[in-house]
Amino acid sequence: MSGHALTFEGVSKRYTSRGPLALDDVSFHVPRGSITGFVGHNGAGKTTAFSLVAGFLRPDAGVVDILGRGGFDPYVMKGVLGVLPQDAELPDRHTPRELLRHLCRLQGWTAGDAATEADRVLDIVRLTDRRDARIHTFSHGMRRRVAVASALVGAPPLVLLDEPLSGLDPVQQHALRDALAQLRGQQTLVISSHDLDDLERISDWVVMLKQGRCLRQGPIAEVTGSKHLCSWRVSSPERVPLTELASRLPEHRFSLRDDVLLEEAPSDGDLDQSSVVVMGLLSASSVPLRAVRRGVGLEQRFLDDVREG
Amino acid sequence: MRDVWLVARFEVFRAIRTWRALALLVLYGVASAGACWLFVRFVGLLENSLAQQLRVPVTKTPGAMLGRLVTSDMWHDVVAAMCGSETLADHLVSIPPLAMFHLWLGFLLVPFFAASASAECIAIDVQSRAVRYELLRTGRIEIVVGRFLGQLALTGAASALSMVTALGVGLGFMLVDDPLALAGWMLVYTPRAWAFGIPFVALGVTASQLTASPAWARVMAIGAAASSWVLLGVARWMETKDGLGLAADVMLQLLPQGWIRGMWDPGWGWLASSAACAALAGAGLVVGYVRFSRRDL
Repeated sequence: MSGHALTFEGVSKRYTSRGPLALDDVSFHVPRGSITGFVGHNGAGKTTAFSLVAGFLRPDAGVVDILGRGGFDPYVMKGVLGVLPQDAELPDRHTPRELLRHLCRLQGWTAGDAATEADRVLDIVRLTDRRDARIHTFSHGMRRRVAVASALVGAPPLVLLDEPLSGLDPVQQHALRDALAQLRGQQTLVISSHDLDDLERISDWVVMLKQGRCLRQGPIAEVTGSKHLCSWRVSSPERVPLTELASRLPEHRFSLRDDVLLEEAPSDGDLDQSSVVVMGLLSASSVPLRAVRRGVGLEQRFLDDVREG
Repeated sequence: MRDVWLVARFEVFRAIRTWRALALLVLYGVASAGACWLFVRFVGLLENSLAQQLRVPVTKTPGAMLGRLVTSDMWHDVVAAMCGSETLADHLVSIPPLAMFHLWLGFLLVPFFAASASAECIAIDVQSRAVRYELLRTGRIEIVVGRFLGQLALTGAASALSMVTALGVGLGFMLVDDPLALAGWMLVYTPRAWAFGIPFVALGVTASQLTASPAWARVMAIGAAASSWVLLGVARWMETKDGLGLAADVMLQLLPQGWIRGMWDPGWGWLASSAACAALAGAGLVVGYVRFSRRDL
């Protein structure tokens, strides 16, 4: 059995015969039990990739493998895959409970177990009090939460969530992010989002797409450089003592990018120890420190990668 | 089969909670009641005409001379026009007129109701992409067959509603000697109108598989249902022409209307026509499914 929850091997997809490639020879994998951030600008191919996994679209070339069992087949993979489609409307004449029970029963559950499971996921998305109201009476955020619940119902081992937090208020975003983080290790979650800070907080693996091609993939710490990079945001960058820093920490590389002092440690370097030195020198040079961050951050890494192409 | 049943049940719930399906259902019931009321008035006119011929007093309420009317040549001609066969009319004249008219009306209305109501059942969810929630959990064939059966159940409900409203009109505006016999014959005939509707439900579902636009699917389904009547006329015309008989026969076999005469059979012969209608429905669904099974959704 493959160690990956999801594998793309040379996958290409074109929507029309003469149109551009939505995905161009894309290969990546998602480790089992991980929470994977799926990153890319608009039109990068994220939604297309999700649709290919779910069988809504068919690839023109390449192989999509789910949990080592091949491409998606609803007959042999009942309950294996949960998907929150980005732009699919809900069947809104039903109540969330009815919809989730129906979906759960289609996954092979008995009526009694499906009812219990529907209530469980409605509790995760905090909709227990509205479980018997018709979905068409719900706000955008509440509908989004029902859609997230539909992806989680039946506890499928692989869950794809396309912008799960969009349209939610900050309190709901926080609650749902925590709920998703708690699923780490139990289910594999692949989350596509434009809020890269959010993604960085809960992901442990990242796949980046750009214009239909895979730009980068790997553990979040490696991608963001949180083990060997430190960003110091300062108020007076012109007063940063670059020469002194270089002489006190000769194995570390320092550079200034706008108001950010970037420190790059060698692979066996110790950022905890060096940070004491850096803080001391900045303080001695009267450089006010505004923020410190390990790594460049997912957003900065993504922007750098996109600019570099 | 379990998935088909689950999808069908969900489809029925969805449809009855949509104002459009409910409106169509009510409209069908009201249209039936209205047409039956007109028919009752027509029977009254026939009775008055018969009373004048027989030089007996004219009655105000239709149905008072029904016993005499059904044995008249006038009524025989009406029945022959409805069922399209002089021979069949000999057997049908003794059946309560309202039950016969209700079946004839069903043949006329059910195709349009069935095609129109079922045309959006898949297209609407393809357009909104709501179909994706079920697609993750079951096959496309189960979705198509389940929704077809759901729509078939709705057409059955519409036929039953139509029967109740027609019976209400009969009992309310007509002198009925034996209400139980009228209700019994309507109960016997209503399933035939429903069975005749099966290929038209399939027509709607097929249109719904071909396009993601519910409006376009409805236009296609209603257009095809209307065209089938035009083709029936063409086939009947071809029957009268030398050398076109075989082609007319083939056309009549492929049109649901070609099986209507069998539906009038007072015995169990209508079941064979129903089976033929079901087979036509199956063929129509397959045509739509060939496209639906390969579509990006």
